[in-house]
Amino acid sequence: MQTEWLALLPLIILAAGGSVIFGIGAFWHQVPTALLFGLAVFTCLASGGTALLFPNVASNLSGLLAMDAYSSFYTVLFTIITLITLLLSYQYARQRAFAGDEFLGIILFASAGMVLIAASCHWLFFFLGLEMVSISLYVLIAIRRGDGPGIEAALKYFVMGAVASAFVVFGIAMLYGATGTLVIMKSLDLAGHPDNRFLLLFGLSLILVGLCFKISLVPFHLWTPDVYQGAPAPITAFLATGTKVALLSMFVRLALYGGDGAGALFAPALWTMASLTMVVGNITALAQTRVKRLLAYSSIAQMGYMMMALLAFKHTGVAAVIFYSVVYAFMDLGAFGTVGLLSPKESDRDVIADYQGLGYAQPGKAALLTLCLFSLAGLPATAGFIGKFMLFRAALEANLVGLALIGILTAIISLYFYLNIVVVLYMRPAEKKPTSAITGNEASLACFLIALIIFWLGLFPSSILSLIEKIVA
Amino acid sequence: MISFPLLSAIVFWPLAGGLFVLAFWRYPQVGHRIALGAASVELLLVVSLLLLDLHPQGADGWLMIEDLPWIAQYGVRYSLGLDGISLILLCLTALLGVIAILASWEQISQRPGVFYFMLLFTQSAVMGVFLATDLFLFYLFWEMQLIPMLFLVGIWGHEKRIYAALKFFLFNIAGGLLMLAALIGLYLLHGRQTGDYSFALSQLMQTRPAPVLEMWLYGAFLLAFAIKIPIFPLHGWLPDAHTEAPTAGSIILAGLLLKTGAYALLRIAIPLFPGAAHRLMPLLLILGLVGIVYASLVALGQKDMKRLVAYSSIGHMGLIVLGLAVWDSLTLSGAVLQMVNHGITTAALFIMVGMLDERFHTRTLADFGGLWKSMPIFSAFFLLFAMASLGMPGLNNFVSEFLILVGVFRAHPVIGSLAFTTIVLTLIYVLKLVQDTLFGPEKQQHCRDLSFREWIILLTLALAVIANGLYPQPILTLVHGPVQHLIDQAGIITLPEAGSMMAK
Repeated sequence: MQTEWLALLPLIILAAGGSVIFGIGAFWHQVPTALLFGLAVFTCLASGGTALLFPNVASNLSGLLAMDAYSSFYTVLFTIITLITLLLSYQYARQRAFAGDEFLGIILFASAGMVLIAASCHWLFFFLGLEMVSISLYVLIAIRRGDGPGIEAALKYFVMGAVASAFVVFGIAMLYGATGTLVIMKSLDLAGHPDNRFLLLFGLSLILVGLCFKISLVPFHLWTPDVYQGAPAPITAFLATGTKVALLSMFVRLALYGGDGAGALFAPALWTMASLTMVVGNITALAQTRVKRLLAYSSIAQMGYMMMALLAFKHTGVAAVIFYSVVYAFMDLGAFGTVGLLSPKESDRDVIADYQGLGYAQPGKAALLTLCLFSLAGLPATAGFIGKFMLFRAALEANLVGLALIGILTAIISLYFYLNIVVVLYMRPAEKKPTSAITGNEASLACFLIALIIFWLGLFPSSILSLIEKIVA
Repeated sequence: MISFPLLSAIVFWPLAGGLFVLAFWRYPQVGHRIALGAASVELLLVVSLLLLDLHPQGADGWLMIEDLPWIAQYGVRYSLGLDGISLILLCLTALLGVIAILASWEQISQRPGVFYFMLLFTQSAVMGVFLATDLFLFYLFWEMQLIPMLFLVGIWGHEKRIYAALKFFLFNIAGGLLMLAALIGLYLLHGRQTGDYSFALSQLMQTRPAPVLEMWLYGAFLLAFAIKIPIFPLHGWLPDAHTEAPTAGSIILAGLLLKTGAYALLRIAIPLFPGAAHRLMPLLLILGLVGIVYASLVALGQKDMKRLVAYSSIGHMGLIVLGLAVWDSLTLSGAVLQMVNHGITTAALFIMVGMLDERFHTRTLADFGGLWKSMPIFSAFFLLFAMASLGMPGLNNFVSEFLILVGVFRAHPVIGSLAFTTIVLTLIYVLKLVQDTLFGPEKQQHCRDLSFREWIILLTLALAVIANGLYPQPILTLVHGPVQHLIDQAGIITLPEAGSMMAK
């Protein structure tokens, strides 16, 4: 019993931290934001720290949650993502007057939901986590009061999210009907339920549709650019990284549990979606004139690359996907985060031409943006290169030569739009000196951390690779 | 073994120096000097290699190696290896590094700190390419060269700089990424065959893919390297990049980056896939020859001096391709020597065009004439380098071109004879360049002749031109062993066989 509490501690800390922040906000009207912020940061550190200290203390809590090495790894990752989001958005939120208890508390709840998703081995808990994340994000996207685009984006995300959730719930019900269990691993047992084969596959396909909505694989991606563009940039960073990484952890779990049986039947569909996602994501990004939309399409394309490697789950695909989700999280946190930091107070800096001359006016942040773009493009010495290398290696190992070639060709195309931003930052002189809001030391710390991680993973990936090998073994 | 990691120091010293320069970006005057200091120390480091008494060790005949585990999970090692070929190219790189900084002393006024950082960064990457013996590491350096070069052309270039920079980058990265796919394929194949997943060149060389697959893999490698060299018809990016680049950018591009392509073809692509390489040798021969003719004809029609030099550069690289395609000890030695000579001569010509551009703010041939009267010393140097470029006996290019041509003739008399006649084309455009600028009526205002700094630059290069022309033996001796080793490794390609291929 005691070990189970210990295993749940990271989750409990996150939820408790969020609740405490809400409580303080409710009863103390003039509460200093710095206190709440400090509390939120402390919660993240404490939760991540306990996950680091007690990994795999209990592997299976009543068949509902698996607080094992796998979920501990993700817990640490989610708390770091949350921490960096907090650091990036603190001054941003203060200047735009939404840095209250709602903002900080909800971020912590969302992060608890992500941990739940990564740890769930029971469909209900998975759904609980999914809804915790989604509902928190509906609020977060619209958190800037009176901000038209934000509210529009939140509504769009809400409608799409609700549809996706409906698919997932209906699919779960089908699975339950087919197999009589909600335990994920057992519910995917195709061979054990030959009579209900159709029902099982139907349920699973519904769930997959819902999940594909959430990680925006083509053709379920249409909401993504609108939502990413409308949401405040640091929230977009959180949305693009946190939710997607959480759902990818679920995809990995599904591939490990059911990849051979039920999952194998979906391989052609996933193959098609992966290739479509790479092609459509990268080619549509070429036509964008707005940075956040461009990054949205880029993040869609990145999902395509990961799907490609996931199809190679029997080989090194799983390790590649996990590594690349870590890399992806920091690249996109950095990219969307710096967009927020480079923005003036009134609205986010969005039109690409408005970035002219920022390379010299804001050298540090522009350099980080460039680094993240290079990493997204997969150029060497960045984490993105090692990540892409692993993805392509896994795909080729599984003889997915066609998919890998599509990936390589679209990666070449993608270089053009990534470079285009770099060109604007450094090579086109600015007509007038661009102004940005003050961003504070917290954001600088976040920038430094992101740059450090991208270089570290790009140059010395060995340590984290062996860790990943251990948790998927 | 020497405990001090000299090779790593050579690779990373310029980058470290560059970061140091970047730290002083607020003080441009200091930046110049630190950059020059860093490049000079690099030159000393490389020269110290020449002074060390190095002997080939082991089966692969490396003069010096460094080998450390890096990404153990994937069998990636950090391994550098030095042999005669890389040593001589390191010397070229270090020398041109110093020259490039001296040449930009007055040209670059805008953000010099960042400029020198990029310059030194490129130098590091090129050093890495010449030394890496693990293909993963090689690929890393290979792609890394492009990033600083993108900025060098894109920020400090001329009017159409962004177009040129992007074109350069996209051409090269496209080849690079396809090569990466082929590299991963080869690596997996090797792993399946032997159970040992490794990127080491010497290991991968043992792999024998099925002929069709080998053709595809070689094709991908060849494409990447051919774009960089550039082999006709993949040269489209080069004239633009050269025309728009600042002088130092052109020096690095022509002197070093193109050499990495030829070096990689020689060291990596052909030894990895000797069978496929053997079958495609006729293609290389033809493309090399067509490249020379094409580049010479186009050079003849150029109005911009820098573009003219750029096309002449493609022609000279075509000769190197011919040398590689024949693949015997004579032509390979000639090709390596030609890499060095072309680096020196073309860099000198680009520098001199840059000097004219600084003085008159034009590079159009029609705007020049009669320079000999106003700038006699400049003109004398210009004549010297132009003569070297067209292969005047006694100057450097003659030796290497002669070696290549004789070798080509010996293997394929027809191709050889055709190649000999192309020299005439070179003669025409170089003489046209000289005649239009140095002689005839004076078309510009009187202008100062060379400054002390320019004297130093040109004198150094002129000495190298003459020394290599009169006494190339030290380089040939240095190169002989490794060339023989390469031929032994890729032993399938022997002379009579290659000849019979052509006869068919």
